[in-house]
Amino acid sequence: MPRLLASALSLRRDPRLLKLPPYLSLLCIVVGVVWLFLLPLDDYSRRTYISENALLPGQVHTYFGGSDQNVFRAYKHETDELAGKGNIEVNDKLESIAKGLGLKVGRQNFTYSSAGNTHSGQNIYAILQAPRGDATEAIVLVAAWKNVKGELNRSGVPLVLTLARYFKRWSLWSKDIIFLFTPDSIAGPQAWVDAYHDAHDSSRVASLPLKSGALQGAIALDYTRETRFQSVHIVYDGVNGQLPNLDLINSVNHVAGGQMGMGVAIQEMWKHSNSYHDRLQTMLRGMLKQGLGLASGPHSSFIPYHVDAVTLQPFGEGWQDEMAIGRVIEGTFRSLNNLLEHLHQSFFFYLLMQRERFVSIGTYLPSAMLVAANFTIMAIALWVKSGQPDVQEIITEKTKTAEEAERIVSPNPHVASERDLFLPLVLVAVCQFLGVVPLYLFNHLSESALIPAFVLFSVLSSILPFLLSNLLHTSTTSTTAQQYHLIRSFSLLLLGMFLSSLATLNFSLAFFVGVFSAPLTFVRPCPNSSTLRWLSMVVLYVLSPTTVVLVASMLPGLDEKVGCGLGEVLRQAAFAWDVTGTYTPVVVWCVWWPAWIVGVVSVLGRPGAGDKKVKKA
Amino acid sequence: MCPSLPSSFLLSLLSLLCFSPYTALAIASSPADSISNSRSDYHEQLILRPLPLSTLLASFNFRSNTSLSAFEAHNFRFFPRSLGQILEHAGTRELHLRFSLGRWDAESWGARPWNGAREGGTGVEMWAWLEADTDEEADRKWLTLTNALSGLFCASLNFIDSTRTTRPVMSFQPEGNHIDANATNMHLLYGVLPHEVVCTENLTPFLKLLPCKGKAGIASLLDGHKLFDSSWQTMAIDIRPVCPEDGECVLQIEQSIDMVLDIDRSKRPRDNPIPRPPPAHEMKCNTSKPYHAHDTCFPTDSAANQDWSLSQIFGKPIKGTCPLTDPTVSPVCIQVPDSRIVFASEGAVEKKNPDQTSRCFDFPAENDFEIFLPAPEAQDGSVVIEHVAKPETPLLYAERSFTGHGQERGGVQTILRNPSPDQEVEFIYMESLPWFMRIYLHTISARVDGQPGKADSLIQEVYYRPAVDRARGTQLEVRMTVPPASTVFLTYDFEKSILRYTEYPPDANRGFDVAAAVITILNKDKSGGNGRNSRFAAYSLRTTTLLCNLPTPDFSMPYNVIIFTSTAIALAFGGMFNILVRRFVAANEGPESGLKKGVNKLKAKLAGILKKGRKESAPAVAAEEEKKAW
Repeated sequence: MPRLLASALSLRRDPRLLKLPPYLSLLCIVVGVVWLFLLPLDDYSRRTYISENALLPGQVHTYFGGSDQNVFRAYKHETDELAGKGNIEVNDKLESIAKGLGLKVGRQNFTYSSAGNTHSGQNIYAILQAPRGDATEAIVLVAAWKNVKGELNRSGVPLVLTLARYFKRWSLWSKDIIFLFTPDSIAGPQAWVDAYHDAHDSSRVASLPLKSGALQGAIALDYTRETRFQSVHIVYDGVNGQLPNLDLINSVNHVAGGQMGMGVAIQEMWKHSNSYHDRLQTMLRGMLKQGLGLASGPHSSFIPYHVDAVTLQPFGEGWQDEMAIGRVIEGTFRSLNNLLEHLHQSFFFYLLMQRERFVSIGTYLPSAMLVAANFTIMAIALWVKSGQPDVQEIITEKTKTAEEAERIVSPNPHVASERDLFLPLVLVAVCQFLGVVPLYLFNHLSESALIPAFVLFSVLSSILPFLLSNLLHTSTTSTTAQQYHLIRSFSLLLLGMFLSSLATLNFSLAFFVGVFSAPLTFVRPCPNSSTLRWLSMVVLYVLSPTTVVLVASMLPGLDEKVGCGLGEVLRQAAFAWDVTGTYTPVVVWCVWWPAWIVGVVSVLGRPGAGDKKVKKA
Repeated sequence: MCPSLPSSFLLSLLSLLCFSPYTALAIASSPADSISNSRSDYHEQLILRPLPLSTLLASFNFRSNTSLSAFEAHNFRFFPRSLGQILEHAGTRELHLRFSLGRWDAESWGARPWNGAREGGTGVEMWAWLEADTDEEADRKWLTLTNALSGLFCASLNFIDSTRTTRPVMSFQPEGNHIDANATNMHLLYGVLPHEVVCTENLTPFLKLLPCKGKAGIASLLDGHKLFDSSWQTMAIDIRPVCPEDGECVLQIEQSIDMVLDIDRSKRPRDNPIPRPPPAHEMKCNTSKPYHAHDTCFPTDSAANQDWSLSQIFGKPIKGTCPLTDPTVSPVCIQVPDSRIVFASEGAVEKKNPDQTSRCFDFPAENDFEIFLPAPEAQDGSVVIEHVAKPETPLLYAERSFTGHGQERGGVQTILRNPSPDQEVEFIYMESLPWFMRIYLHTISARVDGQPGKADSLIQEVYYRPAVDRARGTQLEVRMTVPPASTVFLTYDFEKSILRYTEYPPDANRGFDVAAAVITILNKDKSGGNGRNSRFAAYSLRTTTLLCNLPTPDFSMPYNVIIFTSTAIALAFGGMFNILVRRFVAANEGPESGLKKGVNKLKAKLAGILKKGRKESAPAVAAEEEKKAW
C-alpha cells in the first residue's frame, strides 16, 4: 500500500500526467456515446414487468359493448353536430349530457398569453363519485376536443361520454372518476391540473368549483379517426422529459396487447420488428422528445404533479372498433381502481426501446454522466495547468542545455504560480448572465417579431466573441495564457456541473447538450496555426446553439415531409415556457450558449502575445 | 321544544310529527320532552324516503330505556348487558359512537337526516362524557372504554390513543340530562379513526344489542350485503341519561342506521350483479332525436323514477314486528306525496299524515310486510320530480380539500356556502388533525368569495391546542359566521413532518387519512328554551376525509442497504477473522496431509527405527517462531 501511494504521488509530479486529460476526456465522450448505442442490445436492456401486484392488469372481464355501441353512435351524432361550433356551445351540450347521466359538472375558464397570442378556453369536467367511497382519491379520463395536431377528437369525446354512462352503472369503484373535456390538448389540461392542485395564477386560470380527492392516475384518449383501427399508440412523454410510472404503461400494454389482442406501439414506431435498428430508433425518438421537454398530449401536464398519465391513440387500418378501445380503457381503469397505494413500485426513469423492453436509469445514466464528466476532467486539468508556470515557454526561450532545462522543470510543479482570477471570473460571469437576454427575448416577444429577433440575435451572437476577444487584446494588460486556461476552466467547470446535475433530471437533454458542446473541451487558443484556428471556428459555429436550433427547425419531423419552420419552433418554445413551464430554453440559453461563447472567445485568443513581443524587443 | 306544554298534548303532537326524520330531531335534541313517549321502554321505526336521482334513504331507529335504578341494580331488560357493564366499569355518563361510510350528497339529497345529529365522519368516531376527578383518571377510563368497545364492536377502537384523542371545548354538548353537567368531574373526550373501514363485522354486534336481534321487526331487513353496498351509511349508538321532570331518570340507548341506496344497483339480482349492457330493445331511448335508429340510441334520463319494493331493495320483506316494541308507534313510514300510490301487503293499515307528504303502516306482528311503490306515470321529467318529496335545503354546504402539492407543505381549504338568502349562519368548525400535520395558525384566514382581501370579522373565536410530536394531535375549533347567500373560503397552511422509519403503516404510499371536520351550526335563538341546550346544534355536518401524502422513503432501500452491508461485512469480517485466527507457517514446516503425510510417517517410523532418540517436535517449534516474526 505505501508503495502504491508513493508511486501515485510520484506520478502526480510527472509532467506527462497533464497531457493525459484531453485523451481521458475524449475517452469519456467516446465511451458515453458508445454506451448509448449498446443499450438496445439484449444484454443491457430488460423485459418490462408489472411491479405493483395490486394492479392485476388484464385479469378482469370487460363488459363494455353490446347496446353501449348504440349509445356511442348517438353521442357521436351529437358530437358531429357540434363540430366547428364555439367552445361554450360545445360545453353546454356536454354539460347537458353529463348532467343527464347524473354526474356533477364543473367548468373552468382559462386564458394564457404567449408570444403575443392569447390561448383561452373553457374546460368542462364531470365527476362520477365513487358509489361507496368518500372523496379521498380520484382517477381522470381526459378527452381533449382537439388533439395536439388540432384535429377534432371525433370519436374520443363520444366514447368518453359512453364510458361515463357505463362506469356509472358499476358499484365497484373505489376512487372517484373525473371525466375532463378540454378545448385543446395542452393549455386546457395544464390549466385544469394547476387549478386542481391550487398552483394556478388565479388572474389567468379560474379555480375549480368542484374537487375530488388526490389524483392517482389519468388516461387521455386521442381518437380522431372514424374507421376501424389496428392497434393503439401509447404516448407517455411528460413535460420536461418526466415520465409516468412504468407500471402504468405496462398495464395498458397488458390490457391492450395481452387481453384485447391488439398491438401496442410507442414513439410513432408503427411497425416494430424488435431488431437492433428499430429498438435504437425507438429509443432515440424517445430521447429526442424527452430532450425537447415539450408536452406531447393532454396527459403531459399531469406528470409534473406526480399523477401518472398516458395518452392512447388508436392507429392503423385493422378490424378493432371503438368498443375495443373502450374495453382497453375499462380494463386499465379497473387496474387503477385496484391500487391501494399511489403508483410507486416501478420505474420513473427509463428509456423504452420496444413495448416490452426498457433500460432503467442505473444502466443508461453513466452515458450522459461520462459526457458531462469530460468537461469536469478538462476543467480540473486546466486549473492545475494554470497553476504551473508555462514550461514550454521557459524551455524554448531560456534553455541552453538539456540539463539546465531539467533543472528548471523539475522543481516547478510544486510551486504553484499565482493565479490571476479576476478577469476570467468576470468574463465567465458576464457570459453566463448574458444568457438571460435571449431567454427573456424569445419568451416575451410577439410571434411576428420572433424570426427577426432570432436572426438578429444569431448575428450578434456570432459577432460577440470577436468583440470580446478584441476587448481582451486591447485592454491595457494583455490576457495571458494562464488567464485563458482559467477562462476555459471556469466555463467547462460550470458546464460539467450543470450537465451532470441535469442528467439526473432530464437525461436526454443533458446528453444532447453534452454531445453538441463536446468540441468545447478540445478547442484552445492557437496563436501559431491559423488553419487549426479556422478549423476550430468552423466546428464551433456549426455546433452553435443558434445553428442547431435553425437546422433542427428545417429538418423534417417524424411524420412530415418538411420541417415545421423556425417561426413555429420559436412559437412552440415560447408557448411551452409560458404554459407548461418547460425549462429547455433555460438550458440552451443559460448553460449551453454561454459555454459556447467562452469557447469561441478562447479559440480567438492570442495569449500573452503582447508580453512575448515586449520580451523579445 | 317548549317544555311547559302539557304532556298529553305533546304526546299527540309527537305521534304526528315523529314520522319525519327532521322533526324527529326535535325529540333527539330535547330528550326531556320525549320521555313521555319513551315510557313504553322500546320502540323501533323505519322511515323510507325516496330521494332524487333514483335513490332511497332508509332510516332505522331503535330506542329503549331502562331506569337508572334498574341499571344500577344490574337489572337489564332492554338495555344490552354487555354494553351496560362496560359503561359502568368505565364511568361513562354519556356515549356516542358512529360508524360511517361514503358521503352525503347534499347538492342532490338536501339536508341530512336527523339534521346531522346521528352521523359521523368516514370511519369510526366516538365521544363520551366520563366521570373522573382528574384528567389522568379520565384518560385511563377512556382507554378502558375504547378497548372494551373495540372488543364489543370488532372495530379497531383500541387505536384511539392519545394522538387521536381530543377534548373539544365548543363543538359538543351533552344531549342527556346531567344533574351536574358543568361539574369539573365530567370530562368530554373525542376520538376518531378515519381510516377504519366499516363492514359486516361491525353490523353483527350492532344488531346483537337489539332486543329482537335481527330476527324480527324492521331489523330483519338489515344485512351486510345491502347495507355496505349503499352510497352512504352511518350506524350510530347514543347512550344518555334522560330525566323527565315528573319521573325517575332513565338511561336511554338509541341505535340508528341511516343508509342511502341506489335503487338501480339494489334491484340488481345478487347472483348476477354485473351491469352488463342491456339488450338493445330494452333500452329507453329518446326517439325524438333525428338520428334515432335501431342501432343508435340516445338514452333518456337515468334519473327517471323507478318502481321498487322492499324485497327488491333489501332482498327480503320485513319479518313481522318485534313483539317487544311499543304498538303505538308505527314500525314503517314512507315519505312520498299523498298523490303517489303505495301498495302494502295484506293486513297492513295505512295512516296518512296531515302534512300530505308521509304515511305510516301498521301491520300484524306475525305477517311478513312488503311495500311496493310503482313508478309514477309521468311522461316528461319535470312532473317526475314532484313524485319525490322535495329535499329540504341544508343550512350550510361544506367542502374541504387540500391545496398545494409536493411533500413539504400544503394547505387545507374549506368552502362553506350559505344557501339562505337572508339568514346568517353561525357555527363551530372543528378539526382534529394528526400530529404530523403541523399547522401554521397565523395563516388561518377566511374570505368571502368575490370580495378580495381577508375578512377576519368572520372568525369570532379560535380555540387551538397545538400538537405534541407523537403524543397529541392538533385540535382546532373555530367559531365563525357565514353571511347570507355567500361562500366563504376558510384556509390554513401546514407543514408535513417526516416520520420515523417504523412509524409508517404498511401502505405508506397511500397517504394518511385526515379525519373529517365537524361543523356544528349553532341555534340562532340565543335566549329561549332551557338555557344551555337551546344554544346548541341546530344542524351538524361533516366534511369528507382527506388523504395526506407525507414524504415516504423507498422502503426497499433499507433492504438493499442491509444486503450490501451484510456482504461487505461478511467479506471484511471473513478476511479479518481469517488473518487473526490463522497461523501462518511455511509450507514445508506445516503439518503434512494426505498421502504425503502417510508416506512421511512411514519414513519417520523407519527413520525412528533406524535412529532412536531423535526429536520429533520440530514443526511446532517452527510455527511458534513464525508467529513471533509476524
